[in-house]
Amino acid sequence: MIKKFFDALNQPLGRVGLLIAALVVLSGAVWGIAQAQKPPEQPIQFPHKLHVGLGIQCLYCHPGALRGPSPGLPTESKCWGCHQQLQRFADPTTPWPTELQKLRDYVQQGKPIQWIPVAQVPDFVHFVHRPHIAAGLNCETCHGDVSKMTVYENPQVINMGWCLNCHRAKTEDNSQNNPTNDPAVSAMLAEKRTKLTDCSTCHY
Amino acid sequence: MSTDLSVPVFTNQSEEELGGKWGMVIDQDLCTGCQACVAACSMENNIPFVGETDAAYGRSIQWIRIERFWQGSFPEVKMTPYQPMMCQQCHNAPCEPVCPVFASVHSASEDINLQVYNRCVGTRYCANNCPYQVRVFNWRDYADARVRPELVTLQNQLNPDVTVRRRGVMEKCTFCIQRIRHTEDVAKSEGREIRDGEVVPACAQACPADAIIFGRIDDPNSRVSQAGLASRGYHQLEELNLLPRVTYLKGESNNGSNG
Amino acid sequence: MTDKISRRDFLKLAGVGAATTAVLTGCGPASRYVTREPYVKMPEYTYNGLSTYYATTCRECSAGCGLIVRTFQGRAIKVEGNQNNPVNLGKTCARGQISLHGLYNPDRVQNPGKHVRGENVFSSDKGAGFQELTWLDVTNIVADALTKNQPDEVAFLVGMAPDHLFDLVTDLTQTIGAPAPVRFGALGMFEARTTLMKAAQELFGQSGLPFFDIGNADLVISFGANFLETWLSPVAQTRGYSQLRKGKNGRRGYFVQLEPRMSQTGAKADEWVPLAAGSEAPVALAIGRLLAEARGISLPPAFANADVNAALSAAGVNPESIQHLVDLITASERPVFIPGGAALAQNNGLQTAEAVLALNAFVGNLGQSGGVFLSAIAPLADEYHRPASAKEMADFVGKLKSGRVKTLFIHGVNPVFELPKSLGFADALANVPQVISFATFPDETAVQADYVFPDHHSLESWGYQKVATGASSSVLSGSQPVIVPFFNTKSTVDVLLAAAQQAGGSLAAALPFKDEVEFLQSKLVNLINESDGFFSAPEINTFTAYFQQHGGWWKTTDDRVAPSSADVLNRSLNAAAARLDGDGEFFFVPFVSPILGEAGANKPWLQEVPDPTTTVMWNTWVEINPDTAAKLGVDNGDVVKVTSAYGEVEASVYKYPAIRPDTIAMPFGQGHTAYGQFAQGRGVNPADLFGASMNEAGDLAFAGLRVRVEKTGKTKPLARMESALGVYGFDAK
Repeated sequence: MIKKFFDALNQPLGRVGLLIAALVVLSGAVWGIAQAQKPPEQPIQFPHKLHVGLGIQCLYCHPGALRGPSPGLPTESKCWGCHQQLQRFADPTTPWPTELQKLRDYVQQGKPIQWIPVAQVPDFVHFVHRPHIAAGLNCETCHGDVSKMTVYENPQVINMGWCLNCHRAKTEDNSQNNPTNDPAVSAMLAEKRTKLTDCSTCHY
Repeated sequence: MSTDLSVPVFTNQSEEELGGKWGMVIDQDLCTGCQACVAACSMENNIPFVGETDAAYGRSIQWIRIERFWQGSFPEVKMTPYQPMMCQQCHNAPCEPVCPVFASVHSASEDINLQVYNRCVGTRYCANNCPYQVRVFNWRDYADARVRPELVTLQNQLNPDVTVRRRGVMEKCTFCIQRIRHTEDVAKSEGREIRDGEVVPACAQACPADAIIFGRIDDPNSRVSQAGLASRGYHQLEELNLLPRVTYLKGESNNGSNG
Repeated sequence: MTDKISRRDFLKLAGVGAATTAVLTGCGPASRYVTREPYVKMPEYTYNGLSTYYATTCRECSAGCGLIVRTFQGRAIKVEGNQNNPVNLGKTCARGQISLHGLYNPDRVQNPGKHVRGENVFSSDKGAGFQELTWLDVTNIVADALTKNQPDEVAFLVGMAPDHLFDLVTDLTQTIGAPAPVRFGALGMFEARTTLMKAAQELFGQSGLPFFDIGNADLVISFGANFLETWLSPVAQTRGYSQLRKGKNGRRGYFVQLEPRMSQTGAKADEWVPLAAGSEAPVALAIGRLLAEARGISLPPAFANADVNAALSAAGVNPESIQHLVDLITASERPVFIPGGAALAQNNGLQTAEAVLALNAFVGNLGQSGGVFLSAIAPLADEYHRPASAKEMADFVGKLKSGRVKTLFIHGVNPVFELPKSLGFADALANVPQVISFATFPDETAVQADYVFPDHHSLESWGYQKVATGASSSVLSGSQPVIVPFFNTKSTVDVLLAAAQQAGGSLAAALPFKDEVEFLQSKLVNLINESDGFFSAPEINTFTAYFQQHGGWWKTTDDRVAPSSADVLNRSLNAAAARLDGDGEFFFVPFVSPILGEAGANKPWLQEVPDPTTTVMWNTWVEINPDTAAKLGVDNGDVVKVTSAYGEVEASVYKYPAIRPDTIAMPFGQGHTAYGQFAQGRGVNPADLFGASMNEAGDLAFAGLRVRVEKTGKTKPLARMESALGVYGFDAK
């Protein structure tokens, strides 16, 4: 059987078949990867654009980023705290927009909203927001211009190379990080570099 | 942007003067063998139970275990002092040079041995080369509730700060690196250095006899450095010159026999 | 065929493509599409992504250690000790650490229901043996049981710890005129707590539980007390042991253990004296006589009956070892003698306890640092209420047998498993028309119940617990829920309060509380005027808030009582060795598994924690001296039958070098016939071998047995940590 199979591959038609098979595998793979990068369907089409446009700070809803590893998702009581005040909907005859109706239903039923995380890292990576904010990074450095997005999408592929590129760039002993060529700064940068490229900084 | 692809070079230099960073002292005279450290470690580090059959095959996953040996026979029988045994975080670690995929690597910043789970391909070379036999292997998907339905409720206890390991991955004591990282982060956010005794691994925190002390061994005034100066101090398998970071204080009970 | 690829083959190849896609997709983020549920309403003291810590009390045994439980997003993650609680000062034991495997145990009783006796089914989708009820039905059933029965037809059996439930049931039974609730736990039986208290009562004329100040002594001589394992308050005593070894002024304290089988505690002793079971009383008195001679003082009446040679021959130890002990005592400044465990579980157990306490009086350590005290009485209690002895349990069983009890309420204890079969508890239940169990876990007693109304796990509960011993100050350890109840369970206190309201009349008037917390506050309010507490508050709500925050309330004073030494040495003590029950060739030493305790077998990780002395996991073993094993022709893993006059069990042999050749030992804790998938059908219960003979204090003489050991020809290897070398075979023997 196996021999017959390899014999078949030596025939012209067999080669065409092999080519087709390879193409199928490849296109399947490409399709799979493309699917994997698509943002998932969220329970509510939350318009970041609108909220950021109103001047609400990122940290108002995601304050955990200042304190610890996870920025956190706002509780429903926080959403509702503003939305129930909106005079526009105070009149019971005014129909609510669909997405806000969903929110109202969640609140009224006391059910948690099952968000699907998008900007996430695998289980074996332990990312902590706090030091990144403390180092002076803006949210949009990694998360992109959220004020232009409706449902959040990652602006780039989040992988280890992307993390390390930044960690290396920020600790390189160059004119940007050490303009005066100060040996003390050089030593500090070297120490930081050791830390920021150490496996145990993220993997444990 | 260029990426540095040069592989780490293992040098067999004995760097005694480096002195290490984190270290532990275990007083065998105080250890009562109560297994609180074993329990605390398993709860902190998401260590799964393997069941009776696999445990009988020696596959139980314990990052710290309590050893004891017998000497003599009745009535002159003695039990050697209980000896908690975990990864000794050697400076010259034999597990590191044998790993073909650099999953077992030395942390340059913390001077401890790391096991990078996502790199590990399960050759088990490191465990075979470890003279302390403290590396444990996941022979099955012990922590996967899809394979073990009894874990569906139990997995609510899992610590989010520690990776849940899958089948085919080697693991070992990490000196509770997640607690080191957390304390570092807290100290940094408050703009200060870590205080002595602020980082406490799960085993030391539970130990009712206070037999486990953890801290910075590069600080001569830390509690762990002071405790390590005792004349009873020794390292396991000292003759191998692995520069382990765990110092044992010889037990004196039961005739002071053995270490 | 060779020239072309058939349609079928093409489909196969396409299948490979699809599989590849699946695999590659599996690597992408799509495979990790998990959901995250934010809080609907987040508690104001919680921060996004940060842990919240709650102070509560460990209920795995009755020691009352304080806990701090780390929770994250509403899940309990890790248990640590409460550094402020005077009992454990931030430390925990293995059982406390693994209490989370009880909380999230898949085998918990998840709904209240009506249960068919004898059926090991606790969920209506698993069979007809269990019919789920609503909590409203439960209130009616309990209210009916409290009102439709005559007062003396209702009986309450509750767990060993003196907690708020015990206080509520005491108030409730007083109101309706029913007999007072009975408290019981196997640990109390194995500790021989009643014997210790009775001896103290007789010698000192004061009631109370003796407290041994191990930490400040410089010589500890223990007669069978397993104080580093499960005895009284193990975490506090381990701390004391640690202080003993660290010593005062750098002088390391010395420790000698006298027992027939080297226990985990004995393994930490500098010297182990393997005396025969039941010979402790004569040996203690002989030590007293030799000590008096060494000091050149006249022999006090207490030691007048001592016969050194008879004691030595009963104990089977050489004269030098006893003389050596006397020399050690003479040279020490603060010696302390501890009686406990199997040494007291003999028919002369009371004499043993008295003889050892008399030794303490003779060296003058009563009420002295490093000596013997009576434990501090907990707040809200004017005296120490001890749990029932085996004698009192036998009386209770007799009452159940007589058919006088129409409704039995059981909470927090599993007597069908814990009491020796020879006492006949399970049979007596047949004469009780209605058995209501509040079991959290499907234990053997719940299997015999008509109704199971599951209580919350202790980590989901409110409450307090009076600390019996362990701390030098008076301690009330507080509990609060660390997570929202995981299953459809309800606090037993709430069930009883609701039933009392339903019943109406005097009962409703006596217990006018809307919930458990209001009941707790009605008790705690008595403490707000106390002056020497470590905190105080002007009114009850503030007090309760502090009580929750700190995990309890305790005094800042040393509340231990110095025992009176006036007449201790003037009573003559009996120097006879114990009479043993049975005609077997071996002494039988049962001991509580230091890891599992009496109720830890349902927690899988606790099953996998190796026994400290044998390293055995997941099973029961019989410890036999290697020489004896050779004579019997058995080896490690061979199954032997152990027979007493009351029963027989079969278990695998573990060749244990540190046990007398004429003695065998077995751990208690396994051998469940119910109690969930991790406990059921695993190992055997040595309590099946126990008789019903008691000592004079009413504690069970379980260690006064002689047993036969027979080879069965079967082999069942034990899972042991130490056999790791035999990776590809169970054990090379």
